[in-house]
Amino acid sequence: MQDLMRLWRLFAPYRGWMLGGFAVALITLLANVALMAISGWFITAMAVAGAAGVAMNYFTPAAVIRGSAIARTAGRYFERLITHEATLRQLAGLRVWFYRHLEPLAPARLMAYHSGDLLTRIRSDIDALDNLYVRVMVPVLVAITAGVAFVLFTALFDLGLALLLLCTLLIAGVLLPWLGHRLGKEPGQRIVQLQADLRQAGIDGTQGLSELLVYGAADGHARHLDRISRALVAEQQRMSGISGITQAATGFTANLTLWAVLWLGIPLVHDGTLAPPQLAMLALFSLATFEAVAPLPLAFQQLESTLAAARRLFAIVDTKPAVTEPTGPSPTPRDSHIAIESVRFHYPDAERPVLDGIDLDLPAGRRVAIVGATGSGKTTLFNLLLRFWEPVSGRIRLGGEPLEAFHGEDLRERVALVSQYTHLFDASIRENLLIAAPDAPQGLLEQACETAQIHGFIAELPDGYDTWVGETGVRLSGGQARRIAIARALLRDAPILLLDEPTEGLDAVTERALMDAVQQLMVGRTVLLITHRPVALAQMDEILVLDQGRVVERGTHRELLQAPIYPRLLGLDLES
Amino acid sequence: MTAPRELLDAQKPLASRWLRLSVGLGLGNGVLLILQAWLLAQVIDAVVFADATLADVSGWLGPLLLLFAVRALVAWASEQSAFRAAAQVKITLRDRLYRHIQAAGPAWMAGQRSGAIAEDLTRGIESVEAYYARYLPAMSLTALIPLAILIVVLPLDWLSALIMLVTAPLIPLFMILIGSGVERLNQQLWKELARMGAHFLDVIQGITTLKLFNASRREADVIARISDDYRASTMRVLRVAFLTSAVLELFSTLGIAIIAVFIGFRLYQLDLPIPDLIAPPEISFVTGFFILLLAPEFYLPLRNLGTHYHGRMEAIAAAERLVGVFETELPSRAEPATGFAPDGAMRVRFEGVHFSYESGRPALDGASFVIEPGQRIALVGPSGAGKSTVANLLLGFIEPEKGRLTVDGQDLAAFDIEDWRRQLAWLPQQPRLFQGTIADNIRLGLPDATDEAVQRAARRAHAAEFIEQLPRAYDAPVGERGVGLSGGQIQRIALARAFLRDARLVILDEATASLDPASEALVQKALDELARDRSMLVIAHRLSTVRDADRILVIEQGRIIESGTHEVLVQQGGHYQRMVKLLEPAAS
Repeated sequence: MQDLMRLWRLFAPYRGWMLGGFAVALITLLANVALMAISGWFITAMAVAGAAGVAMNYFTPAAVIRGSAIARTAGRYFERLITHEATLRQLAGLRVWFYRHLEPLAPARLMAYHSGDLLTRIRSDIDALDNLYVRVMVPVLVAITAGVAFVLFTALFDLGLALLLLCTLLIAGVLLPWLGHRLGKEPGQRIVQLQADLRQAGIDGTQGLSELLVYGAADGHARHLDRISRALVAEQQRMSGISGITQAATGFTANLTLWAVLWLGIPLVHDGTLAPPQLAMLALFSLATFEAVAPLPLAFQQLESTLAAARRLFAIVDTKPAVTEPTGPSPTPRDSHIAIESVRFHYPDAERPVLDGIDLDLPAGRRVAIVGATGSGKTTLFNLLLRFWEPVSGRIRLGGEPLEAFHGEDLRERVALVSQYTHLFDASIRENLLIAAPDAPQGLLEQACETAQIHGFIAELPDGYDTWVGETGVRLSGGQARRIAIARALLRDAPILLLDEPTEGLDAVTERALMDAVQQLMVGRTVLLITHRPVALAQMDEILVLDQGRVVERGTHRELLQAPIYPRLLGLDLES
Repeated sequence: MTAPRELLDAQKPLASRWLRLSVGLGLGNGVLLILQAWLLAQVIDAVVFADATLADVSGWLGPLLLLFAVRALVAWASEQSAFRAAAQVKITLRDRLYRHIQAAGPAWMAGQRSGAIAEDLTRGIESVEAYYARYLPAMSLTALIPLAILIVVLPLDWLSALIMLVTAPLIPLFMILIGSGVERLNQQLWKELARMGAHFLDVIQGITTLKLFNASRREADVIARISDDYRASTMRVLRVAFLTSAVLELFSTLGIAIIAVFIGFRLYQLDLPIPDLIAPPEISFVTGFFILLLAPEFYLPLRNLGTHYHGRMEAIAAAERLVGVFETELPSRAEPATGFAPDGAMRVRFEGVHFSYESGRPALDGASFVIEPGQRIALVGPSGAGKSTVANLLLGFIEPEKGRLTVDGQDLAAFDIEDWRRQLAWLPQQPRLFQGTIADNIRLGLPDATDEAVQRAARRAHAAEFIEQLPRAYDAPVGERGVGLSGGQIQRIALARAFLRDARLVILDEATASLDPASEALVQKALDELARDRSMLVIAHRLSTVRDADRILVIEQGRIIESGTHEVLVQQGGHYQRMVKLLEPAAS
């Protein structure tokens, strides 16, 4: 119920559309019922009049029949148009709403989610919400309004018949939907889960195809996917069985009502309370009224999958970002001086702290390197500086101002990062570069690529900067992709430079050339570099050796060569 | 190119048993309906004209009640068989589609958007349901039920039958006229849907990058635009589809109205607005009312067909994408492939191998070299020189365009590829972890491996240490790029995978590139152990991994330009020597 209310509030901007859809749907339904009822009355009355040889006005009912036939046809057309337009508008709005909530969670809170899972949410789960509007909200409103009108109309003729109609409409409109909802609840939840599983298996099985093939696990994965597929179809079959029952029951209830109207009506005709044509009319009328409730059982049966989808969306939307944005405007830092004061950090659920009291003073323009084994906390420190996470204790200052006073965007405006993993989007090289600086002219792009040692390569491509890269684009080697990522970071032109093993995975020649470029780039900037390359380390102002979240050694390259841990980390002890 | 409809029709045998049952039950339901209308007309006639009491009509009311119950049951059964018809097709088609993707291999996959493929596997397959469960049964019933009603009506009142006969064919005719335009629009819509899926996946996977560049807000606008474009295209399709339904509805309503008017006029003894030549038959109230009850049922299957026609178009649009996948040519392998003899020496030879991913840009341009049994070969060279292509050829993802790749003198293409791969262990630069636990991931190539074997492999890969520190150790869930694990940790889990198989040729594709020197040294020790008695091809940048190789091959622009041991190559003073100087000025 709470979920429903929340969805209702989300639909607020579209309530006008919804009201329109409701009005047209109601008119369509009433026209259809009128058509059936008056036709029944008309034929019978004509026959009675014809047999008795009395005159009757057949123009008015004929006109009403024509009118309702046209109203029904036009009404149905506009009803469909309006409800679908409204729904699609809502869905488009909801996708943006979901994305806006998803974005602040990256990367800290999204670590636990598979991208296939998130894709399911932004695609299928949001699509599933259209059920709520087209199949639940509008039909329920129509059924209630029309149902009351139908019962009142019947009461004009006979109270008993009205009561009968009320009861059977309640059975088909309340009891059966409730039953459908109850029975459909579990399979519905399982279907949503299985669809997500299937999508994950699909993404795993395509993006990880190489590994599956080489390790002879391809067949196993195909069988895994087939198992999920079969489980999904089995649940869908259960759903179809339930909907078959409720649908058959709705039809049966409608027929039963017709039958009961005859049963109760025949004595009324006999004692003169009801004219014979009126019985024919009420019989067909009662049958037609069930059109108002017929869509409800299925709608409520699917309600659970809709709500499950909604809950999956809410789960993301309600996740608190790892970092709270400040309320006031960001302060203006004096300069790009970074001061890290006894910072401690551990990931949620982790027992061991990743950073265990780090102190680092990085005056503007100073260049410091960090060295440490895997898991020693180097990358975590970067995540803290980018405010993807917040320290558990201790404090980081930028230009004298506490880091938590900055809005994430204002902070990242001052920082450029080159990391081991950078995503190249499925777009042209130019578009990938423009992410960093949307207004940069071509000359600037080329300059950045020149520095990143990739311009020559791009210029040789037939499409140059318009070459498509990313998942469907031209194949770039790891090194080429990295250099485009570096060019992208260069375009930021930020005073603080974070380099997370920038030359990792590059060949010797390129690495050397790139390091020269990076050296130039470092001039005048505050630099924090994670690397194990002695060549690069030799040029840094200071080197910090991290071990298990603590700084265990610090000094220049030359000084540290004599220290116990540093040479071992660099593999220098093995060489000699 | 196979038409999408042919793909759908080709699956019919899978569904035919259930389809026939569904249609049979549907027809039975139609016959019972005629009976029901007749009983109902009798009751009303008796009450209106014979002033009948309840007792008089109970002979008709009783069977009517029974009929209602039977019809409910038959309708349910018909629906169930229709679902089953589609279920079998969905399961089979999905399995076939994924296996086809596997057979097409990573070389084909590299040119695809995996988000779109995931879409085909999920929603694409679901979309064909409507074709088998709705459209095909509706199609048969559209032919059968109106015919049954016509047979009943014709002897009673030929005029009504004539009206039915004349108006009915107009409906499908109009539908086809309007439908052909929608079909094209709909196929376009489906493509747009797949593009949208791929774009969302791209955004989700790159969301941190977007954030780093403060581009997230711009991206929200892009998402708004894409969703809105999608809305506009969907509405374009729907407007036409709804118009089709409206026209159908109008025709059937008109048909019913004409029948009703003609019956009514005759009952009231009015002249019909038709030529005098045609003498309309006399009609009684009971016949008239009976026909009036049947008239809507006559048009109902036709109207249903209109509704399901939309489902058919969606299925065809989805099938078009499926056909696109199914038509990918599978790499042809010599059949039946010879099993790989495990007792052979395993001498791998590249003889003038050419390969290019795109024409005009050769990745390998006549590469020749030998991997002697038990040898450790290192392949070095600048990025883009063709190192990974060598690995792809060895793994059987691609085949040489020119030249030969032989194992013990026999073409690799002649071997059973699965058998051959069983001889390999492969470690790429960015290995992928799959949804599941760490243990599942280590077991990838050997699902039946014991816990002990898994732990032993992890220890040998120097992964046990960090795995055991995780809250759930080997049962810790991981996924995709191993969220929560560092690159080095993922690499070591993948290495444990390799340890678990008893491979004879180990291929390392820049495998240690993302490890820090300390862990790299550990992993290197493990690799040395792995390499004992095995051949090994190391693709590497770091000299520490290359130095001890039995032979170093220097590759540039798709050709092997230098070959020899570290000492020899350094002496030679070629490319290799320059690389050494650049990288380790202190060491040389």
